[in-house]
This record gives sequence, C-alpha cells and structure tokens, in this order.
Amino acid sequence: MIDSIIQWFEKLPGIADMLLHNGLDQTLIIFFLTLVFGLTLGLVLALGRMTRFKIIQLPVRFYLLIMRGTPLILQLYGFYFGLNLLLGIRIERTMAAVVAFSLNYAAYFAEIYRSGIQAIPNGQYEAAKVLGFSKAQTFFKIILPQVVKIILPPMGSECMTLVKDTSLAHVIGVMEIYVVAANNMSRSRGMEYLIVAGIFYLIMNMIVSKVFGILEKRMSYYR
Amino acid sequence: MRVKKLLVLCVSAVLAGSMLLAGCSKKEESKTDESLQYVKDNKELILGLDASFPPMGFTDKDQKIVGFDIDMAKEVTKRMGIKLKLQPINWDSKDQELQGKTIDCIWNGLTYSEDRAKEMLCSESYMDNHQVMLVPEKSKIKSLKDIKKQQVGVQKGSTAADAVDKTEELKNAKIVYFGNNVEILNDLGNGCDAAVMDEVVAKYYAKKDPGKFKILNDNLSTEKYVIGFRTGDEKLKTEVENQLKDMKKDGTLAKISKKWFGEDLTTIK
Repeated sequence: MIDSIIQWFEKLPGIADMLLHNGLDQTLIIFFLTLVFGLTLGLVLALGRMTRFKIIQLPVRFYLLIMRGTPLILQLYGFYFGLNLLLGIRIERTMAAVVAFSLNYAAYFAEIYRSGIQAIPNGQYEAAKVLGFSKAQTFFKIILPQVVKIILPPMGSECMTLVKDTSLAHVIGVMEIYVVAANNMSRSRGMEYLIVAGIFYLIMNMIVSKVFGILEKRMSYYR
Repeated sequence: MRVKKLLVLCVSAVLAGSMLLAGCSKKEESKTDESLQYVKDNKELILGLDASFPPMGFTDKDQKIVGFDIDMAKEVTKRMGIKLKLQPINWDSKDQELQGKTIDCIWNGLTYSEDRAKEMLCSESYMDNHQVMLVPEKSKIKSLKDIKKQQVGVQKGSTAADAVDKTEELKNAKIVYFGNNVEILNDLGNGCDAAVMDEVVAKYYAKKDPGKFKILNDNLSTEKYVIGFRTGDEKLKTEVENQLKDMKKDGTLAKISKKWFGEDLTTIK
C-alpha cells in the first residue's frame, strides 16, 4: 500500500517536467498577451463608458453587455471558426485565443477601472482645476495613480480567473497544459496528469497573488 | 416598454445579420475539384485528430502523436510525395475545422454514419468497428439481457451513444453521458454498471489494466471506420483510397495492423 503511494508520487516530477516543456508556453503566452492588450483596451473602454457623449457611450455599453453577457467559450469559437467560415479571415490558433481573451477581459477590466475612477471624490478634480492642471494632466497625474491603488484587489482577483480560463483555449485546438494533460490521461488512464496540471495553475496563481500583494504594499503610501 | 422594443430589435438584427452571413458563405462553393492539387501545392496533408483516442491516434510518453491511423496516414502521404501534418483539434468542432480548411481530413477512428456523411465526404471503410459492452471483472452482468435499470456510461456525441439509443435491451437503462472514455472507465464500477465504446478502444484499455474489466461477447452494432474529407474533395479522397489499396496489395497495411492489433483487421479490398 505505502509502496504504491510512494510509486505514485515518484511519477509526479516527470509529469511536471513534461508539462513544463509541452503546453506551458501556450498558457503563458495567452496570459501575458491578454494582460497587455486587455489592460490597455480596458482603460479606453472605461473612459468611453463614462463619457457624456451618447454616441460613444451607448456602443461601449453594448460591447460590455455582449462580452460579459455571453460565455467566453462561445466567443473563442466565434473568433476562430466564425471569422474563418463567415469572412474568410484565418488567424493562427493561439493568436485567435489571445484576441478573444483580450476583448473579453478588457470588458471586465473596464468596469474595474470605472469603479476606481468613480471612487475618486469630486474635490480632487476641483482642486486640480484651481491649481491650473489641464484635463489630461489631472487624469494621468492625479486621478490614475489613486485609481491604481483602489483597483489592485479586484484586478488581482480577475488575473487569477484569467490564469484558470486559459484552459478554455483548448476548444480551438491550442495545446495548452490542460489539454496536454488530458491527452496523456487518455493514454495512461491515470488522473495524475490532471492533478499536476491543477498544481501548475495553483503555482501560477500563487505567483499572481504574491505579485499583487507586493504591488499593494508599494502603493500603500499616504495611508 | 421601450426596453422591450429595443431588445426585440437587437435580437432580430443579430438574427438577420447571421442569416445574411450564412447565406453568403454558401455561395462560395467552387465547381471544379482542385482538392488533390491543393494539398500537393501545400506539400502537406493536414490531418485533424483528437489526440486522445488510443490506439488509433493518441499522445505517447514522449508527447509524439502516434497510432494505427497515424502510421497509415504517414505511409499514404509518403507515397503521395507530400508531408503529413498532425493537427490536434477539439473533436466537437471537426466539421468547422474541415470547412474552414484549417485541416484537410479527419483520420482518427471516425465512424461512418448517415448524419456524418451529410457534413463531410466519407472514404471507403478501412476497418470494421464493433460497439461493445464493458463491465467490471466481477460484475453479474453476463449479456445485454441482464441490463435492467442499471447505469450505462457512454461518450457524448459518439456513435456509441447512437448505438445505445437503438438497442432494445437498454431501453430501461439509465444512460450516463461522459466527455471521454477515460472518464467512463474511472466511473465504471463506482457509478456506472456498464460502459459502451469502440471495440479497439475497449481492448486497448482492457489490456492496460488486466483483470479490471471484461468485454461482453455480444455486439451492440457493427460500424465502419472511414476517413472524413471536405464535401466535394472527391479527387483527394480517391487518391488516398488508391494509395490504401496499393498498400493492402503489397502487405504494408497488414504490417501496420499487426503492429497495433496483432492481426490484420483492415477491410480494404
């Protein structure tokens, strides 16, 4: 009994090594590129969502509704198969996943940005105006640094969700760690591949959590 | 009231848009069959597969995709003078992959069915496939007739699921649908009392875990393994079929079959 348990554990490092070389790169590419594009687009969307101009605000609201209101898995199908079959646009699999993830996560990021921006009291804007700051200066030099402090906890949470959601990319044939583990399970009939994949996601999220912890600490000035 | 109107408007706009687009895409079908030239120009045949279907096409310990179908396809493309590219896909979207030209064929223990023949061009069959019932080694179930209200596990969307639907003896059984065969086997004996799957797959797993399962003698249905091509790709299909016939004649096919099954199971004439 104990021997078989030890034997089982001895298999795990080999599986971890295999996943490191197969699949992890895809998972990380999707994660980091989505962060870069999603965080940028999210800020633009948040500003569009808050503008007085209905002609910008209404389309943005519609976008946020569609992106947050339909399953990410269907959006992945849409950006890979939909674009290809309907419009003849063929994107490489991983890039299609990055596009779908970025557009989807930008919608969630936008609402987090908005919650942060709207939490800044009006007095700040008034004070900036009195001191002669321009609108752009006010936003980037006074408002945004404070917003970052407010939105770090929900952003961290969203990033952890993103780490786990990368596993959805397998529906368009991206060989990320979940599907690599599942394919190996089919051969060996053992659950250990899935368990190791689970540990990988956990470790990645421990790192995400740690990074946000450090950021929060650094941003805790004036408190 | 206004919200309701807006909602109706939105939904109908989306519907109309999608219908329009679907209509457009159908017109693009070309009349001349350039399928063979297409793969020759690309210098490769892209074979789409779900790399988790032993022993037909699966991932080995070195993370290479291997299997009976893969060995066959490698030999065929070698004789055609082109490369074989293996593209793992999600089995649920195989039709979209074919239509979108992201793969050229499905060659992965694909069972012939009339519904499938409507979506893709099916080759001549290269092997028979029986749907068999698998039970735990110590089970009291000896034949299909012993199944009353027990739970029977089957893969969703598979021809095994179709076979279960059509089997009279399983009318009262509780059918449980799973994502893949490994999930069924993990459940067999714990939740499910029996499982239905392709014979070659059942034999592969029975050999892997000796003394755990047994395969019942009666078949639920006998089907045929085929290769799926894009609708209209007749020339490519004929070329692959001809290559397979040559391979049968010179014994190459028998050799590949013996490697995986220990005997020549191929049915090509």
